[in-house]
Amino acid sequence: MSLSEASQKAIDDYLAALRRQLRDLMEEDMNDIVEEIRAHILDKTSADANSAQVEETLAALGPPAALAARYRTEEMMRRAEAHRSGAQKTRIAARTAGFALATLLVVAVSGLGYFVGGVLFVIGIAKLMWPHGTGLWENHNPDGTWGYGLSGGSGNTPPANSHDLLGWWLLPIGLVLGPALIYATFRLGKWSWKKMWRPKKWQQVAGESQAGM
Amino acid sequence: MNDPESSKTDSADKWEVQLRKGSLEVAILAALWRSRLYGLEILRHFESNSDLVVVEGTIYPLLSRLRTLGLVESQWVESDSGHPRKYYSLTAAGRERALEMSRTWTHFAASLNNLLAPLNGAARLEKP
Repeated sequence: MSLSEASQKAIDDYLAALRRQLRDLMEEDMNDIVEEIRAHILDKTSADANSAQVEETLAALGPPAALAARYRTEEMMRRAEAHRSGAQKTRIAARTAGFALATLLVVAVSGLGYFVGGVLFVIGIAKLMWPHGTGLWENHNPDGTWGYGLSGGSGNTPPANSHDLLGWWLLPIGLVLGPALIYATFRLGKWSWKKMWRPKKWQQVAGESQAGM
Repeated sequence: MNDPESSKTDSADKWEVQLRKGSLEVAILAALWRSRLYGLEILRHFESNSDLVVVEGTIYPLLSRLRTLGLVESQWVESDSGHPRKYYSLTAAGRERALEMSRTWTHFAASLNNLLAPLNGAARLEKP
């Protein structure tokens, strides 16, 4: 190492100033940065470099304050990036949970709609086939208790001790209301499916363009 | 300041600076694709393989951020020159990110070239 004393001093001064500018960092990180910059300077200036070459190398790195500021800016960018990806994860998790809950609700409501509609329709058909045995029965039991039941009789005869509350009304209720309920459930399902997907697609596109910025 | 011609060039220059700055990250990841390199080697790689002019003071802070993001890892290695050098290499996440950025860049460049197609004739006319 035969750098002139002046050159060596210029390098030491530069690194000391850089160290001062980085004093808010952890000691280990600060040393790491200073040593890396030292290695860079030594690699760029051969052992017999004159003071002009050393000056040129230091000038290319920029003033210590500016170099330290760049480290700070990059650190701020890293934090912003980490924060953004954290916030994005939370948003995606919330969206997934909300979506799952909405799907569950739609499936439950649809299931109930199809089931009740189907039962009504079957009862309507049954009323057509066994008009006397099918009905909404009110039972007067011999022991004094009361009860209600749909359909019921064996074959085409009404159950004992009961009378039909709906009579022929069961026919339009079963054959019209049943299919109507099934259709309404189908429309509701289709509508909620669209509602659930549309905003998600939009958010996805917005998220992508934001990430691309 | 009030000369519209010079302010036009200024904003074009600024745009180019931003463009170069924005591409530096992927350029570094790509430089490390084949082997580990230290900071000055990355700079020299850019000098000899591209017209990417990198201010020396920008690359080290950027490498530091890539390291804390886990895209590259560093290792001090003793050298014949008498001082150790800090070598950088890609992590698995860094390789993945490099591929992802490369795909995005290729796609973006192709679509922008499509948009710029009408200007091709004009550029030829201006600079025969």
